[in-house]
Amino acid sequence: MRVQLARQLLDRQIVDVEGRLVGRVDDVAFAVDDEGYPYVDGLLTGQGALGQRIGGRIGRLLVAVADRFTDDPPVPPLRVPLAAVARVDSAVRLRCRAADLPPSPVETWLRRHLIERIPGSYRASG
Amino acid sequence: MRKLLAATLGVLSAIGGFVDIGDLVAASQAGALFGMAHAWVLLVGVVGICAYADMAGRIAAVSGRAVFDLVRERLGPRVALLNLVASWLVTVVTLAAELGGVALALHLATGVSHLLWVPLAALAVWLVLWRMRFELMERVFGLAGLALLVFAVALVALPTDWAELGQGAWQVSSAGHGWPLYWFVAVALFASTVSPYEVFFFSSGGVEERWGAADLARARSNVLIGFPVGGFLALSLIAVATVAYHPSDASLGSLGEVARPVATALGGAGLAAAVLAFFAVTFGAALETGLSAAYAAAQYFGWQWGKRVSPREAARFHSVLLVGLLLGVVMLMTTVDPVRLTEYMLVLSAVVLPLTYLPILVVANDRTYLGDRVNGWWNNLLGAVFLLLIVAASVAAIPLAIVTGMGR
Repeated sequence: MRVQLARQLLDRQIVDVEGRLVGRVDDVAFAVDDEGYPYVDGLLTGQGALGQRIGGRIGRLLVAVADRFTDDPPVPPLRVPLAAVARVDSAVRLRCRAADLPPSPVETWLRRHLIERIPGSYRASG
Repeated sequence: MRKLLAATLGVLSAIGGFVDIGDLVAASQAGALFGMAHAWVLLVGVVGICAYADMAGRIAAVSGRAVFDLVRERLGPRVALLNLVASWLVTVVTLAAELGGVALALHLATGVSHLLWVPLAALAVWLVLWRMRFELMERVFGLAGLALLVFAVALVALPTDWAELGQGAWQVSSAGHGWPLYWFVAVALFASTVSPYEVFFFSSGGVEERWGAADLARARSNVLIGFPVGGFLALSLIAVATVAYHPSDASLGSLGEVARPVATALGGAGLAAAVLAFFAVTFGAALETGLSAAYAAAQYFGWQWGKRVSPREAARFHSVLLVGLLLGVVMLMTTVDPVRLTEYMLVLSAVVLPLTYLPILVVANDRTYLGDRVNGWWNNLLGAVFLLLIVAASVAAIPLAIVTGMGR
């Protein structure tokens, strides 16, 4: 697959096979093959990955906020293997469901400690 | 009627920009001080916001991407974060002002102190956002906001000299208040008609309603009906204030004074309609700004957002929504004047406006998003001219604010 990383991949929305929003391509993980050629190994998403990419004081703040709203910091970035990517157009479309990937720790924390405690949180208003 | 029902998303989006609490007072103030001399600003604002809302709606329909998606993709994470922080703050302060506006309308109706109404107003707004279906919400509050047409009706009942009114719009003068103040009011009115949260809300609303490529006509009729209706409502506010207050050059500063000419012209029923309209437009604008702030944050980070999924599946989105509302209530409880607050914010928001509109223009020309639905040359010409105006307004905003002492 031929993609321009910075223009077509970085910062794109990741969408699962059902149309659920998984996250953004906050960073890209590289690996090196047997012959020494680097290749894109997977996509990284999550506030931690974004904070590390932005760097500096603002980046550290983003990481710290993510770590505050989770049970066991530091939050590792969610890794989406390149094999799970079906195609890239205005979004990065996966061939699997979001539920098959590890859940976002911050989402899980806020769900458990805040949103699920409010009556009606299980029903979509549509 | 069916056309109007299909365009309520556009109407509600426009209400937040043209006739929210800040504008109810600011537009009337402009009419009292300068007569119809700012009518052209509204006209330019309507044309510009239509051009950009049309692009944003088209992008939402064809690619399913809302405006802050594009901001992050085109500006990169750092600059987009600056835009997010600025837009979020401006939108949340506006939300606070709208909650204050709802409370002021309830105060006008009941006589009970507006501070007591603030928590109730916030709770009501949150309940609508938590439970009400998006389409129902947009219909109820879009249509209820049309009660503001009572100002146009009042204009007919008042002893209006239409020829003079038309001439006032044509022959622009500073009416002895000085050109810096004239231009300060112009920039503030312009910035409010093109508030970024309008396009955030409009494009995200299109995604919430699951627009597809087949809905392009619907997107366009939302734009072409909704925003001109908003502009017309704001224009009728200016005109009523011109007729009632401009001859005596009286200044006005409260919601009650805005409604008084309607009461004079149409009696108790007119006043009741005006107060109902104030309630509807400020409540609608509170919904719009509350959602817009959360949409922007969720889209920047790529979180699941929207009312289609249950709140527990969009926990971060609903948490940000909740934080924005609570922050708004806290701000109002410091007894700060909400209308004054939006004026400051309007000037600050004018400075970051290009960061929202430039990405829309760029993506509207990108075939990976739009295929053969990209902008035609007239779209680009209109978009570019309008972007220049936005840049001019954003450069002029702070110097004008300093020279005129925030328009005092």
